[in-house]
Amino acid sequence: MAAFPVSSNFEGDFVIQLVPVDTGNTMDEVAAACAVHSINRRVAPRPGKILRVRRHSDGTLFPRNMKLADAGLMPTETIDILFMDA
Amino acid sequence: MSLLKREQWYDLTRATSWTPKYVSEEELFPEQMSGGRGISLEEWAKYDEPYKVTYPEYVTTQREKDAGAYSVKAALERDAFIERADPGWISNVQAHFGAIAVGEFAASLAEARMMRFSKAPGNRNMATFGMLDENRHGQIQLYFPHANTHRSRQWDWAHKAYHTNEWAAIAARSLFDDMMMTRDAIGVAIMLTFAFETGFTNMQFLGLAADAAEAGDHTFSSMISSVQTDEARHAQQGGPALQILIKHGKKAEAQTMIDVAIWRSWKLFSVLTGPIMDYYTPVHARNQSFKEFMLEWIVGQFERQLLDLGLDKPWYWAQLIEGLDQTHHGMHMGVWYWRPTVWWNPAAGVTPADREWLEQKYPGWNKTWGRCWDVITDNLVQSRMDLTLPATLPTICNMCNLPILGTPGDGWNTKDYQLVHEGRLYHFGSEPDRWCFQIDPERYKGHMNLIDRFLAGQIQPADLAGALKYMNLSPGEMGDDAHNYAWVQHYQKKAAE
Repeated sequence: MAAFPVSSNFEGDFVIQLVPVDTGNTMDEVAAACAVHSINRRVAPRPGKILRVRRHSDGTLFPRNMKLADAGLMPTETIDILFMDA
Repeated sequence: MSLLKREQWYDLTRATSWTPKYVSEEELFPEQMSGGRGISLEEWAKYDEPYKVTYPEYVTTQREKDAGAYSVKAALERDAFIERADPGWISNVQAHFGAIAVGEFAASLAEARMMRFSKAPGNRNMATFGMLDENRHGQIQLYFPHANTHRSRQWDWAHKAYHTNEWAAIAARSLFDDMMMTRDAIGVAIMLTFAFETGFTNMQFLGLAADAAEAGDHTFSSMISSVQTDEARHAQQGGPALQILIKHGKKAEAQTMIDVAIWRSWKLFSVLTGPIMDYYTPVHARNQSFKEFMLEWIVGQFERQLLDLGLDKPWYWAQLIEGLDQTHHGMHMGVWYWRPTVWWNPAAGVTPADREWLEQKYPGWNKTWGRCWDVITDNLVQSRMDLTLPATLPTICNMCNLPILGTPGDGWNTKDYQLVHEGRLYHFGSEPDRWCFQIDPERYKGHMNLIDRFLAGQIQPADLAGALKYMNLSPGEMGDDAHNYAWVQHYQKKAAE
């Protein structure tokens, strides 16, 4: 468990943002942390959709319960946060 | 006493050349400072500046220019235009002075490098005047805003900005350090005078002068028009240097310098001039959109100059043109959303009339940028100011030092151009930003952008308050909405209906 910065590229938003998360977080928790800085700020909520995390550089979609520590990301590496059907 | 005619002595006095006896050519013109690139002094002596001026002529003209600009200022001072100006216009002027004034002083050092170290006598002669020009520009653009410092501490940022670690100041310093403070004389002639001044200062100084006149700010309009007459002259130093480089097989190197300088200049102007022209200036005072100015001055005129010299359009030209519909809208939204981090009060520029103008000039604006502004506006209508202020920092490009942006809403395309170099992960806002780094990583790899400094613990406390302190922004200096959110009333009334 350690603090870990990621760069959040949130679907529908105009800017990539620095978001502090934790290596022990699941991908669902990472997505929720990123949502705080985009949803209801510049991105309208989309009821019925869930958020998924994708590696920005190669498009790998991470399992929802995968721990951040197991994803092989570098500190500040950019991840896409996408709206998807549940 | 009879005087010789100008043409009888001009060529002799402009050369200021002599044959060194006590030092070698390399000692007189060190390559690192001169950038002669193996071309002989005889060849550099063929440098033929298109604009010829003598010192007496220069002094006479400059005196007249200063007298004109300062007279307009003095005559209109009692008119107190600033007291009744649209707050968005005041933001234009404050942003301009902070980003430009001290940089002009720095430019006089770049001109001085050409004046002393260029191997081309004509270049040395013109740069003498160029150095005096830039000194004048620094002085006049500090003197004029100083008259308003009793009105607000934000005016003091005309002088203060470059001496801080405010993010826009870091971005401006990074650009100017790269293309004018750390290049040899010929590099300065090409990157500063040809690429930056020929193209971009025209837009800032002529475009903004036109908007200023429309907005009723005749003091500012006459001042920056006066500055631009100097720029138009000393910007011509690059052309003859390029001709010599091309003649001696150095076209590729010249093209690379131009491509780097144009891209980096474009990015800075997308955050400085773009929001000013398309959002801060009141709709009725806008002459053309930022995109239209760019198409006229950069894509049209400057492209023609490149081709006339035998150079090519930069490899990323299509990307730059595509960016005219995108980049500055994102820069504007970022500046407004992170408004406490700037020294001026950004005007949102999204009243119904503004949005109609934006949709007309940038078809699709409402479905992209408008989507984000819809959410921001709804929050203000519902008194959720907290959601319109940042709770973190944007990821920043390791080349332009500006946020990494894309088109939002229905056209979402935000992309980070990442690169791992010697084990460090770098972020770039575009392919050309990353290319600038990749062609010379030794030059750029050590620079730490604001996020790098934040993560390295240089910014304490490690939160937004700490970042504002690091940027030297105090209450009274931090930006807020230029119109104090009066524009939200349109939407409140609509919501109440």
